[in-house]
Amino acid sequence: MTSLRWIGVIAWKDLRAEFRSGGRIAAMISFSVLACFLFSFSLGSLVAGRDVAAGLLWLTVLLASISGAGRTFDAEEEDGAFRHLLLSPVSRHAIFLGKAAANLVPVTLVAAFTLFALTLFFRIAAPGSVALHAAILLPGAIGLAAAGTLFGLISRHSSLGDSLLPALTFPALVPLVFFGATASSRVFLDRPWAEISGPARLLWGIAIGVVAVGALLFRYLTDD
Amino acid sequence: MHAQEATGPRHGMRIGHGNGGRLAYLGFGLAAAGVATILLVHWLVAFWVPTEAAQGVVQRIFYIHVPAAWACFLAATVAGLASAAYLWLEDERGDMAAVAAAEAALVFGAIVLLTGPLWGRIAWGAYWDWGELRLTLTLLLWFSYLGYFLIRGSVADPRKGKRFAAVVAIIGVLSIPLNHVSVVWFRSLHPEPVVFNPEGPSLPGEMLATLLTSLAGFMMLFLGLFTIRYVIENHLRHRNRTSQPDNSGALT
Repeated sequence: MTSLRWIGVIAWKDLRAEFRSGGRIAAMISFSVLACFLFSFSLGSLVAGRDVAAGLLWLTVLLASISGAGRTFDAEEEDGAFRHLLLSPVSRHAIFLGKAAANLVPVTLVAAFTLFALTLFFRIAAPGSVALHAAILLPGAIGLAAAGTLFGLISRHSSLGDSLLPALTFPALVPLVFFGATASSRVFLDRPWAEISGPARLLWGIAIGVVAVGALLFRYLTDD
Repeated sequence: MHAQEATGPRHGMRIGHGNGGRLAYLGFGLAAAGVATILLVHWLVAFWVPTEAAQGVVQRIFYIHVPAAWACFLAATVAGLASAAYLWLEDERGDMAAVAAAEAALVFGAIVLLTGPLWGRIAWGAYWDWGELRLTLTLLLWFSYLGYFLIRGSVADPRKGKRFAAVVAIIGVLSIPLNHVSVVWFRSLHPEPVVFNPEGPSLPGEMLATLLTSLAGFMMLFLGLFTIRYVIENHLRHRNRTSQPDNSGALT
C-alpha cells in the first residue's frame, strides 16, 4: 500500500471515530460561535465589525484549534491503539499526515462557522469574496491542524497537559496568524487581489513549512 | 567525555578534571574576557563614541542591544543544531549542548527584551509596539525556549522529555530567518540593518568599532557561559548516572 493510501486510511479512520463521538467538533464549534457572540456583545457598539473581524476570526480559530488539538490522541492513547498503530508497517510520515488531515476537517469547519458567525453578529453586509476567504483560511487551517497534531502529542505526555499547549504552539503559530489576519482584513475591506496576494503567498509558504517540519519531526516524538 | 571531580579555577567549585577541567578553565577564561570587554564597551559608549545625530543619546543602548540580540540568535541556533544532532545521532552531548545554549538564549533574549523597550520608550514614545514584528518575534523566540524548559521538566520519562524539548528547540530556531528579514520585508518602526546590508556597513568608524568590540565581548561571554554550563551539565549527569543508574539524565 502506498504512503498516500495509508494517509487516507488513517485520516478516514480518525474522522469516522470523530464523527461517531462528535464531542470534539461540537465543542470546538460551540466555543467559536460563543466567542463570536461575546465579541459582538462586548465590542459591537464600540467598533466597526469590518475593522476588527479579521483579528477576531483568526484569534477564535487559533484558540478553538488549540483547545481541540490536545484531544487528538486521547482516545487512541487510552486504549493503547496508538502504540499498535506505531507498530504497524506504516511510515511515521504517513501517520502524521493522516492525523493532520483528520485534524484539518474540524479546524476548517470551525473557520467556516466562525466566519459566518462574525458576519452575522457584527452585521457585516458585504464581508468580501467567499472564495478569497477560503483561499486564506485553508492554508491557515492546514498550518493549525499540522501544528496541533505535533504539539498535541507532546502535551499528551506532559504533566502540565493542555495548559502547556499555548506556550508551545503560540510562538510557532504567530507568523501564521499574523499573515492570515493581515490577508483576511484586506478581504473584509474589499482590497484588490494585488494587496492580498503577498500575505496569502507567505501564508501558504508557512503552512507547507509547518506540515513538512511536522512530518520530519513526528518520527522523533514517537520513537521508543 | 566523563568529568571527574576536581577543583575549579576561581571559587573552589568542584567541576571535574581532565577534558572537563580544561573545558571549564576555557569557559571561565572566555567568560572573564567577555565581561572585561563589555565593561570596556561601557567606557567607550560613555566617553568615546560620538552621539548619533538623529536619535541622540538614546542610540547608545544600541551597542548593548544589538550584540545581545546576535548572541541570543547564535545561542538559539546552537540549541537548534545541537537538538537536531541529538535527535539524529542519539548522542547525549547534543542534548547537553542544547540545554547549555538554550539557557544562554534565555539570558541574552532577556537582555534584548529589556533594552529594546527602554530604547523604544524614548525613540517611539512607547515601551512596546505589537506592530513591530522583530521585537514581537524575539519575544516569541524567548517563549519558545521557555517552553523548551517547561516540556523537559514536565514529562515523566526523561528520554522522552529530551526528545520533545529538542523538537521545540528546532521549531523555535526556524523563526530566526523570519526575524532577520522582517525589518526589510515589512515596514516597521525598527531601524533597518546597519551592518549586514547589501551595501556594506553604513555606520561611521567609531560607532562600527564600538559595535564590533561589543559584539566580540558578547560572543566571548556566550561561549564562556555555554562551556561552563556544558561542563556542569556533564558533571551532574555523570553524578546522577553513578548514584541512580536507572534514571540517567533526569536532572534536567
